[in-house]
Amino acid sequence: MVDILPLSSYPSYIDLLPSIQTCNITNLPENYFLKYYLYHALTWPQLSFVAVVRPKNGYSKHGGSDSYPKVVGYVLAKMEEEPTDGVAHGHITSLSVMRTHRRLGIAERLMRMSQRAMAESHRAQYVSLHVRVSNTAALRLYRDTLGFQVESVESKYYADGEDAYAMRMDLSDMWVDWAKIEREDRERAAKEEKDGDEGEPVGELGKADDGDKKDQEKMVRVKVGRGLGVGDLVEKNEAAQASN
Amino acid sequence: MPQPLSSKDAALFRQVVRHYENKQHKKGIKTAEQILKKNPNHGDTLAMKALIMSNIGQLEEAFVLAKEALKNDMRSHICWHVYGLLYRAEKNYEEAIKAYRFALRIEPESQPIQRDLALLQIQMRDYQGYIQSRTTMLQARPNFRQNWTALAIAHHLSGDLEEAEKVLTTYEETLKTPPPTSDMEHSEAVLYKNTIMAEAGKLEQALEHLEKFGRRCADVQAVLEMKADYLLRLDRKAEAEAAYTTLLERNPENSTYYDALIRAKGLSKDEPKALKALYDSWVEKAPRGDAARRIPLDFLEGDDFKQAADAYLQRSLKKGVPSLFANIKALYTNVAKRDTVQELVEGYVSTPQSNGSAEGQTDSDNTEFLSSSHYFLAQHYNYHLSRDLTKAMEHVDKAIELSPKAVEYQMTKARIWKHHGNLEKAAEEMEKARLLDEKDRYINTKAAKYQLRNNDNEKGLDNMSKFTRNETVGGAMGDLHEMQCVWYLTEDGEAYLRQKKLGLALKRFHAVYNIFDTWQEDQFDFHSFSLRKGMIRAYVDMVRWEDRLREHPFYTRVALSAIKSYLLLHDQPDLAHGPMATNGVGEDENERKKALKKAKKEQQRLEKLEAEKREARKAASTGKSADGDVKKEDPDPLGTKLVATQDPLKEAMKFLTPLLELSPKSIEAQTLGFEVYLRRGKYALALKCLTAAHSIEAANPTLHVQILRLRKALDNLSEPLPAEVAEAVNAEFEALLPKSTNLDEWNESFISTHKDSVPQVQAGLTSRQLLKPDTRSQCEQELTATLDSTDITIDTALTGLELLTAWGSDQAAKTAYAQKASSKWPDSSVFRLE
Repeated sequence: MVDILPLSSYPSYIDLLPSIQTCNITNLPENYFLKYYLYHALTWPQLSFVAVVRPKNGYSKHGGSDSYPKVVGYVLAKMEEEPTDGVAHGHITSLSVMRTHRRLGIAERLMRMSQRAMAESHRAQYVSLHVRVSNTAALRLYRDTLGFQVESVESKYYADGEDAYAMRMDLSDMWVDWAKIEREDRERAAKEEKDGDEGEPVGELGKADDGDKKDQEKMVRVKVGRGLGVGDLVEKNEAAQASN
Repeated sequence: MPQPLSSKDAALFRQVVRHYENKQHKKGIKTAEQILKKNPNHGDTLAMKALIMSNIGQLEEAFVLAKEALKNDMRSHICWHVYGLLYRAEKNYEEAIKAYRFALRIEPESQPIQRDLALLQIQMRDYQGYIQSRTTMLQARPNFRQNWTALAIAHHLSGDLEEAEKVLTTYEETLKTPPPTSDMEHSEAVLYKNTIMAEAGKLEQALEHLEKFGRRCADVQAVLEMKADYLLRLDRKAEAEAAYTTLLERNPENSTYYDALIRAKGLSKDEPKALKALYDSWVEKAPRGDAARRIPLDFLEGDDFKQAADAYLQRSLKKGVPSLFANIKALYTNVAKRDTVQELVEGYVSTPQSNGSAEGQTDSDNTEFLSSSHYFLAQHYNYHLSRDLTKAMEHVDKAIELSPKAVEYQMTKARIWKHHGNLEKAAEEMEKARLLDEKDRYINTKAAKYQLRNNDNEKGLDNMSKFTRNETVGGAMGDLHEMQCVWYLTEDGEAYLRQKKLGLALKRFHAVYNIFDTWQEDQFDFHSFSLRKGMIRAYVDMVRWEDRLREHPFYTRVALSAIKSYLLLHDQPDLAHGPMATNGVGEDENERKKALKKAKKEQQRLEKLEAEKREARKAASTGKSADGDVKKEDPDPLGTKLVATQDPLKEAMKFLTPLLELSPKSIEAQTLGFEVYLRRGKYALALKCLTAAHSIEAANPTLHVQILRLRKALDNLSEPLPAEVAEAVNAEFEALLPKSTNLDEWNESFISTHKDSVPQVQAGLTSRQLLKPDTRSQCEQELTATLDSTDITIDTALTGLELLTAWGSDQAAKTAYAQKASSKWPDSSVFRLE
């Protein structure tokens, strides 16, 4: 039985990286150093997933073979770091499923998990990928099952001279309404401040211990603060030099 | 104290630093040389020049220069810092840390030196040092969140969860208002703090914290997972049920969610009907999924099982799911289920679907169903718990007849040949499978692997080269090294080991060893990178994983093979010159010399061949590797230097130490550890391995022989052990084999207790010969008789043949054994005697 698990979020299956690398080099001609996988797992831990055969007695964290179940597929994904169109979007770096485990819908499930995380965690407008023009099975998955559209044909994209379809799919319908969450939090905070002024008990938060109450008060006292935008943290793609 | 420079030269020196920072190395060296013309002893300039040289791959020259720089200016922090950087480049971290410390003593306020020191401390897991460094860095720049997070990480990794949480909270309290939800760094820091709370066992508090702040966190999936996990562990069942239902709605293909949901609902294994209903409801919700259909087969019994299995099998066979058998075989430990499955699928092929056309099935659907069913049965009869290779072959041939282009069917045919013990045929058939889809790397991989199993290294590489970047330095093999293709290097090495080509075998095993070193090294950049990215949970998980990197089965396997190679080299030093026509046991000296001469000649021929190949590649390639570095050709492509080692056992320790440390539960690790320690005369350590092996599997056949061998070794010491060692060893050995034991009785009782298990009988016979060498012919007969056992596998039988060689049996005994084995397995090739 095959389980779809997160690679490096919660719970973490990061110790499967060598097996994922093996799955890749077994199936595909485009291969990478382990460091490039690490770079994905540690920069966008929400976006990559792995398909493994469930060990007979469940997963174990105590070493031995049950800690290293067989990897039969993976999706390695990222956010485009310097999008040429200026629009935040995800990109599928690599996806493969062992030939012996096809027709189980594994690739589809891996893709859906990754796409959702791109939208939810990184507010990706769309996801893009490349596929060999000769790869009809993959094309069927992306276009017919998942709803991708062909953007363009990239001539001689692959090392062996084959062309690629550049495909993409809109993800905006999967976004979380963050504005609403922030508004609700502000309203709740304002209300609590008011209650606090009146010296009333903190209502349902009465159960919270002191530490939490302190946090709560700290958070509502001052209105202005500095916003640390995600843009400030965007780095030049250093580890990526490891690839290609 | 920096030596003074003229203002013009001081300006030039600043240029050197700038050139270095901009990676304009040639300009940097030129400018440095300009300064040195007038100030040949200027330490800082010499140091900078050394640093630049190390960056362009001239590490040796750089070291000479850096030492000169230090000699000229011992009081310069630049000289010491560079000295440390060079050691770091050489991966000598201990020396690097010392140099940084000197630099820091001279220039305590220097941020770059402090940072470089901190990076090495965490790389070396010097947690106390790291805490100190990060505290200093935080004090210097408290307005950077990264510095707070880093200190928290330092405390967390050192095991001080309380302090880690406190540091994070202190920073949070400086935030005047909650950062926006788009602030990923904050979002991750919140979840990081939450995992620390949970790790400290404060689940209630962690849950509360998560419920308050989790909704603002970007990693939505992780928040749901954490919450569900905490709820279940807190036994808050109704909420846990809701949480796992949400997770399943997002991903119905994760069996651990179903396990958790069932626990949350309080359902027990004794309620199969209720469980089945639960899974059925998920089949309805996610009809395209597999898990909810498959899992009930694990717990259903009798007619319920039969009905569910029938539906599951038919559906998958109609879809032609290639992994169906792989998905089913786990049920076979239950004999009744195994037989039911067999009966069902046999039924499908004997009575073709009569109602098919009624459901609008076409002939081609019917053919697919039928060929899928034959394919399933072929795998079924090829599986060790339901093996009947004749039937397997019949079914696979029928499947291939119906669908001649199906790669999977042809693959299975190759696998059946493998189980017949005919690796040559297996490789041939797998090659046919490859030809059915030459653009697919998966089947190419399989074909190459089967060629390696057949000890055909050249053909294997030839196949691999159809998908490698052959312009890489070293050709296809170079690319496989560069792309860290561990499986190939391991299989290739093992094929060489079987052929007793130890140089090449060791070459491959060391290549894998070095890949693991690289993987360990890979984390270095992330110590700073991850702080900038703010993805702290993933970083901490990575650090912990790196600490047990060599626990991975890839390492275990390569270490075992490498140790076997070194043991062989130690026992038969002549193998350093290549495989010998003789086996080194009981040969006369003339024959040995003749064989050695022949082997050496062959070795020279191979070296010449390799040199020619290299010349050809040099002419054809550009010499650039994937990362743009200029790569040199391997100076020892055949492993000649590796195999020439004077101390194979010491080399073996390099592989053995991490193996015993990280995989102590591997009985093979323990028994091979024994072999190394026994040969090194380390009796206490050898015994420690046996004690560990005994606690894993007391009746292990290898262990049985080893206990006896240690007893005999201790009884025949050329000089006695030191008194304390002897006392400790004797005391511990009493638990395994009391001194008073009558060894003959002990061994005969082992044989009779395990008379139905061939490996144990083999071990008993080996032991009997150790005790009484004159029983050999009796032992040979009994060993040959084990071939009559119904349970004996080809692999075990092959081990028996190798035992005859180890015993020094004559050709007649071997022939008798091999002939009998060949007639038992007429399709095998492994019992052919050269």
